[in-house]
Amino acid sequence: MTSTRSFVALLVLTGMAAVALFILHLGLGTVWIPPDRVIGVLVDGLADSTDRTIVWDLRMPRAILGLLVGGMLGLSGALLQVVMRNRLAEPGLTGVSTGGILAAVLFLAGIWGLPQPGRLLPFVVLVGALAGGILVLLVTSRRGRIDPLRMILTAVVVNAILGSLTAIVMLRSNYALGNILSWLIGSLHGRVWDDVWLALPWAVVAIPAGLLAARAANILQLDDESGRALGLPLQPARVALFGLAGVLAAGAVTVSGAIPFVGLMAPNAARAVVGADARRVLPLAALIGCLLLLAADLVAQSFSIKPPIPSSAYRVGLPVGAVLAIFGAPLLIILIRRSTR
Amino acid sequence: MNDIEPIRLEQVSAGYGQRIVLEGLDLGLQQGAITAIVGPNGSGKSTVIRTMARLLPARSGVVLLDGRDIRNFGSRDIARLVSVLPQSPSSPPGLTVRELVELGRFPHTGLFGRLGAEGRCAVESALTLTGLGSFAERPLDELSGGERQRAWIALALAQGASTLLLDEPTTFLDVRHQFEVLDLVASLCASGGMTVVMVLHDLLHAANYANRVVVVNSGRIVADGTPAEVLTVELMRSVFGVTARIFTDPESGRMICLPIGPGGS
Repeated sequence: MTSTRSFVALLVLTGMAAVALFILHLGLGTVWIPPDRVIGVLVDGLADSTDRTIVWDLRMPRAILGLLVGGMLGLSGALLQVVMRNRLAEPGLTGVSTGGILAAVLFLAGIWGLPQPGRLLPFVVLVGALAGGILVLLVTSRRGRIDPLRMILTAVVVNAILGSLTAIVMLRSNYALGNILSWLIGSLHGRVWDDVWLALPWAVVAIPAGLLAARAANILQLDDESGRALGLPLQPARVALFGLAGVLAAGAVTVSGAIPFVGLMAPNAARAVVGADARRVLPLAALIGCLLLLAADLVAQSFSIKPPIPSSAYRVGLPVGAVLAIFGAPLLIILIRRSTR
Repeated sequence: MNDIEPIRLEQVSAGYGQRIVLEGLDLGLQQGAITAIVGPNGSGKSTVIRTMARLLPARSGVVLLDGRDIRNFGSRDIARLVSVLPQSPSSPPGLTVRELVELGRFPHTGLFGRLGAEGRCAVESALTLTGLGSFAERPLDELSGGERQRAWIALALAQGASTLLLDEPTTFLDVRHQFEVLDLVASLCASGGMTVVMVLHDLLHAANYANRVVVVNSGRIVADGTPAEVLTVELMRSVFGVTARIFTDPESGRMICLPIGPGGS
């Protein structure tokens, strides 16, 4: 990738693909609405009122969340790979997902004896998620210094501990596991406008902030001595980028659970296409994240399974996280093998 | 000639953790000259350079940058005056030469500023000076060791600093590329008026490229002067522990410092 012009063209193309998927997504569901009618609903409110209700009230929240969560995870992963200096880093390593899920499980299991109004759950997840991120940061920093390799090891260990705590709580409680499972693997089913409002503030603040961090990210990609010689205070920069990655991931976990692979695939795909400059990798990773999650959710919506639980009368859509793992992972492997970098 | 030394160390001590590496060092740089710092492994050569750019803050004593206490400078202020090329710099795979060199403008742009016309100009001239114009869009990891080292020097040049500190710039290069890099540094000094400090292992290079050779041993300066004054058979034995022949090559007129074996001192 050489010129700025071809990079902008690439961004526009990816953006257009995301818009196309978005429109397709709005059309897909129990009732198929062809793209021309979806566009009709979007551009003028005078369209068929049933279409309008379906598109705006029922499907729009989920499609918007697909875009937001995908973008947040893509960017979060790209930032974290810089902080940890490792292309295998993904948003889950911030401790945010396991923290959020542990909080959710504790809450649902009623360990604190709280009543269980469903609308409170996302806030509980959010608090747990942020606490998980802060825990990783606290454990890893030694006298204010953060070493990328030590950070990865710390994150893996903290995640393992939080994960096993989750398992223990789940085993001890008799709460229906299916509900928690969809948090563990990540899903966008049944999301409503309230969920959008929950994720939107994080996205609106943290996505631009993350993109603006490109220059600091570029310097952090060099060895420490070179970065310091250029005058960047490395430790504050690392904490700031980790914080941004954590907030982005926390916003995503709050509304969708721990969606895997997007945060790993999107930045690696972006790097395979545009090289290493964060000014290009970060925005492209966010856009690819949008694309991936929307595409995977389209697939997730198209297939459904009937759970072998006697009480369940419905067919259940595949969780998008499962789709990503099944279809996305091979794609990533192909991409990495083909890339000469 | 300006009287103010670009960098001056006064009674500087520095170290890592419990270990004191430099003790009471006094050293002033001559503007526009190439100073080579030589010495055995672990003698504190790299620490001298790191202290000069405040990559390692001095424990005691004063480091003066353009005559002012370096503690009063911001990190980016220092980086606008002093460029440092570390011993083994690394860049992420896929980063192109131009993208690397543009990072050299960070001390000027900060986190959010624009590169601007001045910045682009500095990047272009750094690429031209290092002869990398035609490599600018190539990823660093596709270049030879010598070209890569020139790219890092270009990054340092793009900073627009007048003092350049190089920590063993020739270590991983073959002989031809060693000369190529050193010739480049010499030309920067001659035409651009840059002040250069190089930590060198190869005394042959120190003898032929430096105006001044500073010998560091056990954290102290044990000799300081022109190559001919400093690099003597006696010093080779006492500091480096080798027997050496030192003579002038009759054809090239170059000073040759040839260690021929370990020498009991």
